[in-house]
Amino acid sequence: MAEAKRKHGFPRVWLVAAVAIYMLAVVALPLGALVAGAADDIGATFATLGHPEARGALFRTLALATTALVIDVIFGVVAAIVLVRDRFFGRRLLGWIIDMPLAMSPVMIGVAFFVLFGRQGWLQPIVAATGIDVVFAFPGMLLVTVFVTLPFVARETQLLLQELGSSEEEAAATLGANRWQTFRMITLPNILPGVASGAALVVARALGEFGAVLVIGGAISGRTDTATTFVYHAVEERQPAAAYGISIVLVALSLAALAAFAIVHNRTRR
Amino acid sequence: MRRRILTALLSSAFVATAPACGNKSDGNTLAVAAYTTPREVFARSILPAFAAARTQAGKPAVTFEESYQASGAQSRAVAEGFEADVVALSLAPDIERLVKAGLVDETWDDDAHGGMITRSLVVIAVRAGNPKGITDWADLAKDGVEVLTPNVRTSGGAMWNIAAIYGASKRGHAGDGDAEALLAGILGNVVVMDKGARDSLVNFENGVGDAAITYENEVLLSKQEGKPIDYVSSNVPKDTLVASVYVLGELESGSSRSAAAVSVALLLAALLLQPLAQRMSARAGRDG
Repeated sequence: MAEAKRKHGFPRVWLVAAVAIYMLAVVALPLGALVAGAADDIGATFATLGHPEARGALFRTLALATTALVIDVIFGVVAAIVLVRDRFFGRRLLGWIIDMPLAMSPVMIGVAFFVLFGRQGWLQPIVAATGIDVVFAFPGMLLVTVFVTLPFVARETQLLLQELGSSEEEAAATLGANRWQTFRMITLPNILPGVASGAALVVARALGEFGAVLVIGGAISGRTDTATTFVYHAVEERQPAAAYGISIVLVALSLAALAAFAIVHNRTRR
Repeated sequence: MRRRILTALLSSAFVATAPACGNKSDGNTLAVAAYTTPREVFARSILPAFAAARTQAGKPAVTFEESYQASGAQSRAVAEGFEADVVALSLAPDIERLVKAGLVDETWDDDAHGGMITRSLVVIAVRAGNPKGITDWADLAKDGVEVLTPNVRTSGGAMWNIAAIYGASKRGHAGDGDAEALLAGILGNVVVMDKGARDSLVNFENGVGDAAITYENEVLLSKQEGKPIDYVSSNVPKDTLVASVYVLGELESGSSRSAAAVSVALLLAALLLQPLAQRMSARAGRDG
């Protein structure tokens, strides 16, 4: 008892203060600078949002994030269930492979996709046969976005599945539920909080992805420019208002996505 | 996959065009792949002028898809499948890569200008008033001087910078003649190696470093934008290298770009050598 009490004594205050100051310095200050920069020439900042190239870039980023989200949720849930509930040869290896994108530089990922889909790429014959452009086009950008966001839903869901155990699912099966019924009525409601946290990470990462979409897309205005590459080029063009305008929208979108999925997470947690 | 360089066809370019109406691949959308520094003169002057001239002549409206990346990175992008119609790069080897890839005709530099559209000098940009008293290459190797130059792995400008220092030293106009020692000294003072020439100068404008090695036209443009960096004639090292900028058109009869797109690209490339475009370049700090 005495030991437990000591843990909540004097050092705690300093720990809280340290965390608060750290967060302020690392997160709040840069964010504040961004808002201040946008407010500096608020007219020009808003004018940026009416520019067709800026809107196109934002739209492209949103399309990438939402499409990647759908793919990641479907694949992530399936992968998590397989990895936790099934026992098969190579299961651990599969688990490692899912984590690989976290360990790779996005620029490297972009370059790797050239090996597959570039002019001399391994899969170029297939690309040519289908007539769908991959590199320097939306499909390639979607591929790299899915690649970098791949682990999030799968990992969050996997953790929850492990924690929950399989007793409820077994009970359902004993009571005569088939696999689909068990999934829909037992597993899915149970894993929703995990899917929601994973989805929040996917959207935040997809909105902010830069290196991979720059390399594979080439940041071609009106074709493959995304919100982040737009900001990058606005800075290079000495157009700070444009850079701030799109940055603020990106931050707002990310925060909205985080908040929305946090609500889903909290509502569905049991 | 037969492609030829546009400059070779310059004389016939103005009669070559007969673009069909219709969708993207009919020559009404041109993809321009350039390096980082011609951004302003292309995007704000030359390309709009080209589009306006075509509309006035009763031709279908032309729009542009533009990409500006460091020369080496852009060259690799085009080699890997970016279907560009016109390419402007800052270094001959970056264009030679496209020749090897079969995208550009090997006669690209056979014209009167050696394939170049514009020239500039390699210079040293310094803070307003030149507080560190930098006047020569050797000053950049001194202790406590922070230097910016882009990364040679991606940037053509960076290659010119290295060549300029090396050449000046070899000719006895910089340092004590030991070119490699001078280069090592300067590179040892480099605090940031950005991807491209523009990134590097913008970082300098934002307060990083005491000096930036860059193109003369970049400094002139920066001053036009009201940035407090200095560039007086005494700051131009006496024995500096002329950095040349190359342009080439990409012609292809491949799947997605039609003959019409090719002919419009030819027109644009021809325009880059015309007096009007050259005056626009000069206004943006470039030597014609």
